[in-house]
Amino acid sequence: MDAAAEMGCGLRIVLLGSFCATVLQATTWYITVAGLGGEPEYETRFTSLAMELDKAVRSTPDVKVTTLTGSSATKARIEAVIDEAVKGSKADDVLVVTLIGHGTFDGTNYKFNIPGPDLSAAELAGKLEFVPSRRQVVINTTSASGASIEPLRRDYRTVITATRAGTEKNATVFGRFLVEAFRDPSADSDKNESVSALEAYVYADQKTTAFYETQKRLATEHPLLEDTGKGGGVRAPGPDNGQGLLARQLPLLRFGSLQQAARSPEKQKLLAQREGIEGQIDKLKYEKAATPADEYRKRLGALLLQLARVQEEIDK
Amino acid sequence: MKFVVLGMFVVAAWGQDCRNLHRHGKLNEAKACFAKLTQSGNALQMAEGYWYQNNSDQANNFFRAAVKAQPKNPEPRVRWGRFYLERNKREDAAALFEEALEVQKDYAPALIGMALVMAGGFDPKSVEFAEKALQQDPKAYEAHEVLARFAMEDGNPTEAAVQADKALAISPEALDALIIRATIDWMEGKPGTEWTDRLHKVNPAYAEGYTVSARIFVINRRYEEGIKLYRKALEMNPQYLPARSELGVNLMRLGEEDEAKPMLEAAYEAGFRDAATVNTLKLMDTYKNFVTLRTGKIILRLEKKEADLLRPYFQAELERAVAVFEKKYELVLDRPVQLEVYPNHEDFAVRTMGLPGLGALGVTFGNVVAMDSPSGRKPGSFHWASTLWHELSHVYALAATKHRVPRWFTEGLAVHEETAVDPEWGDRLDPGAIRALKDKKLLPIATLDKGFTRPSYPNQVIVSYFQAGKICDYINEKWGWQTLLAMLRDFGTGASTPVVVERHLKMKPEAFDVEFMAWLGKATESQVKGFDEWSKRLRALNAEVKAKDFDKIIAEAEGLRKIYPDYVEPGSPYELLADAYLEKKNAAGAMASLNEYAKVGGRRPSTLKQLAKLLDEAGKPGEAARALERINFIYPVQDEEMHRLQGDLWLRAGNTDKAIREFQAATFSKPIDAATSYYNLARAYRAAGQLDLARENLLFALEAAPSFRPAQKLLLELSK
Repeated sequence: MDAAAEMGCGLRIVLLGSFCATVLQATTWYITVAGLGGEPEYETRFTSLAMELDKAVRSTPDVKVTTLTGSSATKARIEAVIDEAVKGSKADDVLVVTLIGHGTFDGTNYKFNIPGPDLSAAELAGKLEFVPSRRQVVINTTSASGASIEPLRRDYRTVITATRAGTEKNATVFGRFLVEAFRDPSADSDKNESVSALEAYVYADQKTTAFYETQKRLATEHPLLEDTGKGGGVRAPGPDNGQGLLARQLPLLRFGSLQQAARSPEKQKLLAQREGIEGQIDKLKYEKAATPADEYRKRLGALLLQLARVQEEIDK
Repeated sequence: MKFVVLGMFVVAAWGQDCRNLHRHGKLNEAKACFAKLTQSGNALQMAEGYWYQNNSDQANNFFRAAVKAQPKNPEPRVRWGRFYLERNKREDAAALFEEALEVQKDYAPALIGMALVMAGGFDPKSVEFAEKALQQDPKAYEAHEVLARFAMEDGNPTEAAVQADKALAISPEALDALIIRATIDWMEGKPGTEWTDRLHKVNPAYAEGYTVSARIFVINRRYEEGIKLYRKALEMNPQYLPARSELGVNLMRLGEEDEAKPMLEAAYEAGFRDAATVNTLKLMDTYKNFVTLRTGKIILRLEKKEADLLRPYFQAELERAVAVFEKKYELVLDRPVQLEVYPNHEDFAVRTMGLPGLGALGVTFGNVVAMDSPSGRKPGSFHWASTLWHELSHVYALAATKHRVPRWFTEGLAVHEETAVDPEWGDRLDPGAIRALKDKKLLPIATLDKGFTRPSYPNQVIVSYFQAGKICDYINEKWGWQTLLAMLRDFGTGASTPVVVERHLKMKPEAFDVEFMAWLGKATESQVKGFDEWSKRLRALNAEVKAKDFDKIIAEAEGLRKIYPDYVEPGSPYELLADAYLEKKNAAGAMASLNEYAKVGGRRPSTLKQLAKLLDEAGKPGEAARALERINFIYPVQDEEMHRLQGDLWLRAGNTDKAIREFQAATFSKPIDAATSYYNLARAYRAAGQLDLARENLLFALEAAPSFRPAQKLLLELSK
């Protein structure tokens, strides 16, 4: 495994120069679709989740947001919106497609239930092929969504599903917590002012697990994440299964102050310095097991203090 | 045809001969005899032979074949049923006895079998079956023995002696009758040799009898004496596997796992695989997933996954309870109290198997207490701290009386202690108790034990807890704690409830019942009288909530709250009132209603959180923290946010110790945002002046999130 990839954006800076600074100026394309509810309660729930997500992302900078609900969430409209991203997005841009609603699996094909003809996972995958952005996330929060992993997975795409298989057919709660990750600051667990696809997934997964445990109900959904383009998805992405590396680097939501700093020439130097220290910290953490505890603590303390001082300068 | 019948008779006689050898303690001869039976070619006798050899599979096969070969004969079914009964498979046994009764209506041995099945489940129908058996066969002394055992388990040694004597009148070799006579003496502290001498003359190796006696001691919570009897049974006949298994189970109950495990394994390996043996072994296998904390007077066993989170709360309450009870009961235990906390309710349930009328939340075996973890229950349905104090009270009551305390009194004390430690804890007057009061279903004090061990209606055990608790409240209020303590000590001498009541309360039990009922009636009068109307109006009010007429809701809920103030279950007037007040922008009204809810004992975490939020918004962080602190005793698990908010409130209220405790709990709650958890802990340590710990936790926070601005700022401050 590539060590740089293992350690994410921070260490990549050390090796790849100003990659992250460029990324900070990229645009994020959000396509959110609330499908058919089937009954009023679900209809309302799906629409309100989609609108909640819409509201959360619109308040962040450099975004293009399209949210389709109710009768407008047709296959033709979804394809048209993707076409806009095909025309307008760049390779460094991030594309986030979120499906909220019910899904079905007939043993062969997964379909997202929408007004008019349903949208199959294969059809969605086919359309997304043409989007220039090579940093894509598909979040499928529907029932039976586990069956969409195989058609959707690519080595440049993170696929998140609410269920582990097409056979998990009950309505899900995962979507509710996934949307919550967009507005709960605690989802940003590394406090880098952005919520990555991995952070959002971990947040929603833990909340979903806690929901079933607290309710003392048998879990009817088991979320998965796939970002290698060749796996079946895993519940707990990490170094042991090789999943989660891409998802960690894909920001779903950025809070803004770093973008502003990146635009200021005088702060560019400090940002680069900051990124350098972050890289050293990541490297040290990577070597933690092989470093004597006292030495690790001492070096980590020194680097963290250094980083805090640089950040203080950036914030001035 | 005659030959076949004669043949069957001869073979049956062989079986009876072998059983007689065993019955007279000639174990080697019996063994040889039963071994011969396995070669007899007769299915029923072969089954008996294999049963004796503990070869369950073969015994089952041949019993099945015997039943098939003799479809019109009830005997093979009855013997097969007895085989199952010995292995504690009561349902299978009952099915066979019922089949036998279909083959031959009122067949006495099948009726006795049914009586034994029912007795195993502490079901009063046992008496009906035994009496019916006697109608069919007045010489069926075993039926009298069953009645004697039932009476013993029912706490009625007088009736037990009568029944045992009837059995002995029919057969001087009625071994169970002799052992029951001896048990009556032993329970009263007498040697019982009159009976054991007779018993040993007939059968010097009657392990079955000593096992029966041991069970009676265990049912009466006299575990250590029960264990001695199981040991005696095994000395007499080491091959008697039920005694080996039950000894293992009871050793485990008392925390003697090192001896219990090999005992159970030996029973299992020898083919004795009843549910108690298998489940106890499985439970013991899970102990590797637990951690054990030992301090001076306590041993605390928690599951690894939740040990860090729960330890501070459980340890503090356990130590506090021990300190309080040592003074209150004027008793220092001779060994540490062991508390086991099970997140899986099924594991806890294994602990209570085979015991009558035990509450489903906790159970006490001598100095060992087992209870559910809060994580094993729905939020708001279980006050673990109240349960802990309840169970620990049993430890002291049992120790003070050498386990002779009657069930009603130890439960009454335990319920009394729940609210004595904190008026908000303990259960409220629930609708079941109100119905029992209305229908005059409370029992006389002299027979209150039956409400626990032989309930006659579905809710009676719960109602009996309530009644026993109220009796202790009443005695405490009128005569004082020292009288309760004196009664407890007197129970330790073996004195009966009527004697103890008369001696210490200076009145007959019947007179006490009259006084107590008058006192209780007065205390609950308005709630009992108004209950029916209250039920109707609350249902109507809950239906009207959708109409959003908040003035009407407020007026009605205020009224309902006054009629039945103890009702704090979901949909209570307190919550409806608070919601309506909030709709009317009356935060003070909502706060007052929820405060009342909490004080009465409302346990729903979401409602208590709502109260905390209102108090915080009203600028009362200390009171808000106290509102949340209540949840620590109810559902401190799977709620990192609650601990975080509580820690923050304590910090703002200037209580750094509690802030540290709560922020620590947040870090142990597997937070999604670990960095913030450690940062909060660092803030609390800093406020407490513990700067080294503050720096250490800041390091943890920044290790997880190096760019975490607030943590960076605090680091810079601490580095100056």
